[in-house]
Amino acid sequence: MSEPTKAPEAAQLAEEAKLSPAELKKRAKAEKQARRAAQKGEPGATGVPVPATNGTHEAPKPPKQSGPQEQKAQGSQQKGPPQQKQKQGVQEGKHERTGSIQQPLPTRGMPALAGPVKEVQRKDKKQVELFSHLYTQSRRQDIAGASKNVHPSVVALGFQMSSYEICGSSARCVAMLVAFKEVVQTYVTPSEVSLARDLTSRHLSPQIDFLRSCRPISESMGNAIRWLKKTIVEIDPRTPEQEAKDYLCDEIDRFVRERITVTDQAIAASASALIKDGSVVLTYAKSSIVEKTILQAHANGTRFRVMAVDSRPLFEGKSLATSLMHAGLQVEYLPFSGIAYAVKEATLVLLGAHSMLSNGRLQSRVGTAALAMQAHKADIPVIVCCESVKFSGKVALDSIVLNEVAPSEELLLPKATVSHAPALDRKDDDDEDRQVRSLHDWRDIPGLQILNLMYDVTPAEYIRMVICEYGNVPPSSVPVVHRLANEGIM
Amino acid sequence: MPHATVPSPGLQALILCGPGVSLNTFTSNPKDLPKALIPIANRPMVWYPLDWCHRMGINDITLVTPPESSEAVAAALKTHPALTGLRFKPDVLAPEELLQTTGTGELLRLPEVQKAITSDFILLPCDLISELDGSSILQQWMTLNPPSTSGKKLRWKGGLSVFYPTQGLEGVSTKKDETDFLATVPLPKSAVPPPHGSLRPHIEEIVTFMPTDTLNDKLEEDKGHLRVRQSLLNRHGRVKMRMKHRDAHVYIFPQWVKEFVAKNERFDSVSEDVLGWWAKAGWQEGLAEKLGLDEVLGEKKAEDDEMNGDLADDEEIDPSSLSSTKAAKPVQQAATTASFASRVGGTSAPTPKDRIATPPLLAYVQPAPSPSSPLQPLIRRVDTTAQLASISLYLARQPADHPLAHEHNVHPTASIGLQSRISQEDSLVGHNVTMGIRCNVKESVIGANCEIGSNVRLTKCVLMEGVQVGDGVVMTGCIIGRRARIQGVKAAPVEPAAAAQGAGGEGGESAAAAGDKKGKKKKGGAADDGEEERTRLTDCEVAPNYVVEAGTEAKGEKLMAFDTEGVVDEDMHDGEEDEQGVEEED
Repeated sequence: MSEPTKAPEAAQLAEEAKLSPAELKKRAKAEKQARRAAQKGEPGATGVPVPATNGTHEAPKPPKQSGPQEQKAQGSQQKGPPQQKQKQGVQEGKHERTGSIQQPLPTRGMPALAGPVKEVQRKDKKQVELFSHLYTQSRRQDIAGASKNVHPSVVALGFQMSSYEICGSSARCVAMLVAFKEVVQTYVTPSEVSLARDLTSRHLSPQIDFLRSCRPISESMGNAIRWLKKTIVEIDPRTPEQEAKDYLCDEIDRFVRERITVTDQAIAASASALIKDGSVVLTYAKSSIVEKTILQAHANGTRFRVMAVDSRPLFEGKSLATSLMHAGLQVEYLPFSGIAYAVKEATLVLLGAHSMLSNGRLQSRVGTAALAMQAHKADIPVIVCCESVKFSGKVALDSIVLNEVAPSEELLLPKATVSHAPALDRKDDDDEDRQVRSLHDWRDIPGLQILNLMYDVTPAEYIRMVICEYGNVPPSSVPVVHRLANEGIM
Repeated sequence: MPHATVPSPGLQALILCGPGVSLNTFTSNPKDLPKALIPIANRPMVWYPLDWCHRMGINDITLVTPPESSEAVAAALKTHPALTGLRFKPDVLAPEELLQTTGTGELLRLPEVQKAITSDFILLPCDLISELDGSSILQQWMTLNPPSTSGKKLRWKGGLSVFYPTQGLEGVSTKKDETDFLATVPLPKSAVPPPHGSLRPHIEEIVTFMPTDTLNDKLEEDKGHLRVRQSLLNRHGRVKMRMKHRDAHVYIFPQWVKEFVAKNERFDSVSEDVLGWWAKAGWQEGLAEKLGLDEVLGEKKAEDDEMNGDLADDEEIDPSSLSSTKAAKPVQQAATTASFASRVGGTSAPTPKDRIATPPLLAYVQPAPSPSSPLQPLIRRVDTTAQLASISLYLARQPADHPLAHEHNVHPTASIGLQSRISQEDSLVGHNVTMGIRCNVKESVIGANCEIGSNVRLTKCVLMEGVQVGDGVVMTGCIIGRRARIQGVKAAPVEPAAAAQGAGGEGGESAAAAGDKKGKKKKGGAADDGEEERTRLTDCEVAPNYVVEAGTEAKGEKLMAFDTEGVVDEDMHDGEEDEQGVEEED
């Protein structure tokens, strides 16, 4: 029966090209419903809308068998090779609908398939193939589904991270450790286990998982977590519980102080010495350590000015420019497109880091690499300020392997009409949809993908020097410092 | 909605079970049926806030109720099927001195309550109906707060309240809905556009808040002008004032509010005084000090310093100061402090601490339904009978996937007579209801254990538990109290004239108790004119246990017995139901 229906289907397909995606969607929905109805074995459901259904199921089997009977046969679970084949077919069909298969379908020339399959593919294609390994977990936007054991302060922190209220490698690291202090204090050791054995696995890991689901863990957080786990394990199991907890909290305080607070001061002191009278410091986005360095140099009485380059979507440079301005510095704020202009005047480039990789490359806010390259070409020294806690044993040659994909929506500019109204909005807009298409409809525009990466990797040859608490080192010495600073504690 | 799988937000909930001044038809006997237990769509009112808390993961819940009602509440918690179904047991707190007339601010000052508050808390009325998931509100509160421990240094947790638009919801909004006056300023924009469905765009900071009554008083005082302080305008450029929103009385408060309230004896009501003064303290010079806010916040700081005195040398850093999306505070603030200190003259006193920034008081202001977003989740306070009816019917209308929907619209234990028709999609029938033949029920809620005769017609009615409705009764838009009896045809020949018309402030209604009974059972079909002897009630409220004589015809009346309990007048509202002091005369 699929034979006679082919012709109208082909016509349908031709029509489809003219229809808008919204209509296509509607049609796909109608088809789906019809398919479902047919699957239930409704008698007399062989009308016009059904062929699509039958097509799906019939695809892998010999063309002589006819639809409805076949399905009933399936239902009764008869044995035999053809049935099995069918079953598979059905399964695959289902698979497609949920959208978890990405490769194109095996050659089933059924034109009727085109509708629903297209739909599925379109949904999938919203993730950029090259970066598909980074889309592992969509970012958590609400509390639903979180583990019950997550501590309130960690919940709050997670939300603050996912909304970028707390952003930046050091800030996240510190905030996490501070939150973990509370987590440790609320921990009660169950009977028959010791704190040293139980705290990490049972109590701490849900917290870490929750934070990870809010935003991927940064390198500094990873190092801090490793350190904390090690510290916990090394606690003598005989230590009384409260004592052990207090010890841990003190250790966390010490870690924050030694690895971040004091370190920052040391780095700021040595980096600010590089800023001379009349310097023009060029920086990108915002790094707490760069901010501190500049403020330190300003406090030292050096007269210089700052150029802050910035880009979407976070506009962190704005915050930097604001706080420098509050401090009374002369700041020039440039958009990313102004890099070429900026390097003409700059005498020094100061960069913060998300992480220093072991091959001497710098992983930092996306856009840093371009700035570093321009500066390198213009022979301006590029200097990275980075605490050793951000040094990593990982190696990356490009920004593809290690990176973080943020929700694409962040790149959209706010709508002109302030209605951020949720999905309901969209349903109503069907007719509006046809009139004006903006980037906000990107999910409905076929072939359009938006990629929002957080970091990029700057090649080591662009970096003149890395300033860490161990001194000023060339990028090639990163692994050494990493071993000194982080491996010892791991 | 996943129940109970949510991590605890670290809050405790206080549900204030007030007297229900404007539901006085039903709450005249707070011992027996306090407001908290009035059924809304066949569940006690207090179930809704309890369930709401539960859904956002709060299990530490305290019901605060006057002693006289505590027994009824406690008993209901043990026995009522809806409440026993909850998987946690709320505590009932009945402070001795708590009267029906105690203000909410005073309530917070009671020693028992003060003792009960041990952490950050959320303050709820018992009459809150919210479709909006509480955890999304909570999420915003958490997001916009500084991380808890870093607050030791400078910043303290703020508060969050919820406002809903009274207008624009068909079938629920009425002109008479109480409103509040609210002035807000926008928060700094979030770093990235918030995801779809986030409440972030609607979170604002409150700068002035007062109930409309107070506003009207002020307007009258100043001959129709609203005075706005210059310092508000100096501080904030974009103040938005709203008059069509109402305080939902949902407050997420940090723990220090407890001390703040304790310190200020004058605070009578949480909404008007605590919220109002706190909001003002944010911008009015010197007000924070006057309210003792600096002491409340500063005291804690000292304590904390002592606590980690051994670590005093370490400068604990505030993670948000490192955050790349935050700019450092302008240094000028220190300058203003200095000038302030010098002006005051006390050079030594407040200078080292510098002025403590008042923690922000935020508000989630639910946008009014508009053409672009016609459906907002419902947030309402049910504190008038009109609301009671409309919300009950609204909930009855909801489809099964609604979070507040019942499992069965018509409970399986209900026995419905032949040829009776119940419109299932917009009616609710509780358990063990018996209904005679040829009844017709549309858009109504029928409580548990009701007995309904034959040929009864109910349209837009709310029947509480155990109501008996005689044969042939026709009711439209009525609310019938618990165990009331509406006699149908053929009843006792007694006819106490105008038995019930003592109803409160409405005055002037005298029942048209034209009760002629006739011992004749009529068929339900021809209900139009011929039978004036049928009991017909339109838009009436019938008090609990009241008996409506057969043949009564009434429209828009409150049918209630003269109050024998004496004074049942109360002002201990859990919010601002301080509408016209409705009183019963005896």
